[in-house]
Amino acid sequence: MSSKKLIIIKLLTAVLIITALVISARSFLAHRNYKETVVAGPSVTEVKTLGDYFEPIKNTVADCNIYILDSGKPGAIFFVIGGTHPEEPAANLSAEILAENATLEKGKLIVAIRANRSASTVTRPGDAYPQFYTIKTDWGEKKYRMGDRWTNPLDSWPDPEVYVHYPSKQMLAYMDIRNFNRTWPGKKDGSFTEQVNYAFMQIIKQEKVDLFIDFHEAELEYPVISTIVAHESGRNIAAMASMMLTDMEFEKPISMEFSPKSLHGLSHREVGDYSDAISLLFETPEPFLDRVRGITDEHLLLEGKDPFVQRAGEFGLLYETIDEDGWPIEVRVGRHCSTALMVAQIWNQMNPGKEIKIKNVPKYAEIIKNGVGHYFKNPANMDSDRIYYE
Amino acid sequence: MFLHAGIVLIIIAVTFAVGTYFKLGIELAMLLSALAAAIYHTGGVPVRHLVEGAFTYYDVSLIFITATLFINLVKESGGIAFMVRKIIIRFHEHRYLTLLFLTFVLMIPGALTGAGAATVLTVGTLVGTVLIYMGISETRTAAIIFLCASMSAAAPPINLWAMMAAAGANMPYVGFMQPLLVITVIGALFTMFFLGAKGENPELDKILKELPVPPEKMNWTRVGTPFLILIVLIVAGRLFPFKMPILGLPLMFLISALAMFILSPKKLNILNIAGKTIRSLIPLVGIMIVVGILIQIMALSGARGLISLAVVTLPVWFLFASLFIILPVSEGLLQYAVAPLLGVPLIFLFNMKGFNPVIILSAMAVMWPIGDILPPTAVVGRATVIELDYSGRYYKDFLKTCLIPMAFILALCTIFLVFSNQLSFLVGG
Repeated sequence: MSSKKLIIIKLLTAVLIITALVISARSFLAHRNYKETVVAGPSVTEVKTLGDYFEPIKNTVADCNIYILDSGKPGAIFFVIGGTHPEEPAANLSAEILAENATLEKGKLIVAIRANRSASTVTRPGDAYPQFYTIKTDWGEKKYRMGDRWTNPLDSWPDPEVYVHYPSKQMLAYMDIRNFNRTWPGKKDGSFTEQVNYAFMQIIKQEKVDLFIDFHEAELEYPVISTIVAHESGRNIAAMASMMLTDMEFEKPISMEFSPKSLHGLSHREVGDYSDAISLLFETPEPFLDRVRGITDEHLLLEGKDPFVQRAGEFGLLYETIDEDGWPIEVRVGRHCSTALMVAQIWNQMNPGKEIKIKNVPKYAEIIKNGVGHYFKNPANMDSDRIYYE
Repeated sequence: MFLHAGIVLIIIAVTFAVGTYFKLGIELAMLLSALAAAIYHTGGVPVRHLVEGAFTYYDVSLIFITATLFINLVKESGGIAFMVRKIIIRFHEHRYLTLLFLTFVLMIPGALTGAGAATVLTVGTLVGTVLIYMGISETRTAAIIFLCASMSAAAPPINLWAMMAAAGANMPYVGFMQPLLVITVIGALFTMFFLGAKGENPELDKILKELPVPPEKMNWTRVGTPFLILIVLIVAGRLFPFKMPILGLPLMFLISALAMFILSPKKLNILNIAGKTIRSLIPLVGIMIVVGILIQIMALSGARGLISLAVVTLPVWFLFASLFIILPVSEGLLQYAVAPLLGVPLIFLFNMKGFNPVIILSAMAVMWPIGDILPPTAVVGRATVIELDYSGRYYKDFLKTCLIPMAFILALCTIFLVFSNQLSFLVGG
């Protein structure tokens, strides 16, 4: 090939690559900067941000909203977080339902919808995630950022050769230094994600949280699924809740298991160990996360139907059942909301005089009947001082 | 969905075959396959997915590039020639010790870079020259260089196949050091002694005349210090994790490279060496970029799921009986792409069946580079015969001579697969 032809080919290739980079950069930027609208519910008395509890976080990408729903009457203080892993949408949607709908009659509820905000600003290379998903509401569609399991490398890079957890010194996968549920209890001068965890621990301590709940979803190939993982301080509540829910509300059972004492960095272990709060973690099934999944799109993310995952189940390769109905988002969000309410109910039975009374949060059957979007309010009809952005 | 994903797979296979037929090169053929599949699945060109996929192995590529730059600086400073000459001068009367240390020299570049080609290009000719003067035939010498290069690529700390498959399976690349070391060292030593044990002791003067002369001021301190710095930086991150800043492997290699640049007795043209390094790595980095794109499109279209499903529903006995053929052949066909494509579902299957995933992946990650001698790509095999100026026949002489050591290594890996739980005590490091 002549050198002139070669130069032309190189120039054309460069133009093509630059064009692709510009187009995709706009798409990445739009995703990173997209703001989700949240309407503060009737009991939201104050909306702080994470940076209010730990100054270095202030005005960074990690500075998520902290919704405080205070009844004004003394009682228990619960703290619920969604968005630990933003590739698990039932978690942030459930937390948002609480923030927009819950009415507190006694005690205090604190909610973080996007706990690891940075991880919600990136999707995972090689996995072809959609960048956004939409939830149908009674007034139109509401758009959300799809995220990753790990903090955005733009905010935390490079990873170490191996991640040594603080303070246990347990060696974990290098990328888990960006995994918000492997970096508890956090470190004041640690990595980006460790500092975010540290900030959350400050909320738990400063607000004197009694019970902490971390919403999650899991692939069906993963053994910890459809369960409440409990720190030993919360085993009675978790056991009772799983029995009651399986008996009274859910078609498919929810189990309970103990937080392993030797596995560090997870909320159900470290929050319980490093604060006075009882720590629980809820898991629902999300077929979208399975490696054997078929077409990767918003439909699978929200409907949870996949013939490939179903076939893997027929071969006994899964830890949770799946049929042609799949695991739709209504079922997953419904399980989280009902489990949180059941935990509150059992807490109240076990702690007379220090109750928390949460009303107007839809339960499992209601969410399946009405849809998740039914519980999101139209920002256009609200006063601007009730609107917040995630 | 089965039909759709099946059609996508057919489109990928046909486009790849056509691209290969027209000698586009494996990277371009793979890129076209991904594009064709993307267009079929989306009805357009999903630019965001193509670019996002290209960054899948960004960190791995950076490690690969910086490690190779480091090794090239060691070579250009005369460090490698110095080490080889010292080994010959000290041990030329002890054949087995000479072979042992030469095996060690052959293992270093690939172990640090994760690429067998790095071994062939940096130390292949030097060690090859010594082996010829030790009375080993040209064919056996080429076989030794190729197989030791393959073992070095699989050796820790950098095994690209294991890293790529582990990343796809959300599995930490931790604990692989010992199992990979055991398999690759046994494999390399068996190869060296099986093919090179017989022969005469080398005539020192003749060999030294043939080997390049390192700069006069080169010594063990100058060549050893950069390696020591690298080891100290890696170990310090583990010993003082809460005080040591996070550097990342690429920066560690760059710091070691800088040390080599400073300590080199002759002035090194770093820009020229860096340019040469990048040019020599374009095909391999290109493959990693394109593999990322292909994997993203396959995940998008369901083709990855179909392959995963096909693999995880296979009986385990069948895999034990066939992986020693499937893995090298697939490597010859697709290069690093096989690690995320076949490796990830295999890890899930074996893990679910109760086998130790670290030992399993270690064994598979040694089988794959063996396939670098096989067509259509045969990247390391071809590099070996070109670099050594080999005059024999590729298949009938070179490949045939490799067969017995290859069979030994693959049998060893199969033993690790079958007895992964019994060998789980090796997991660590």
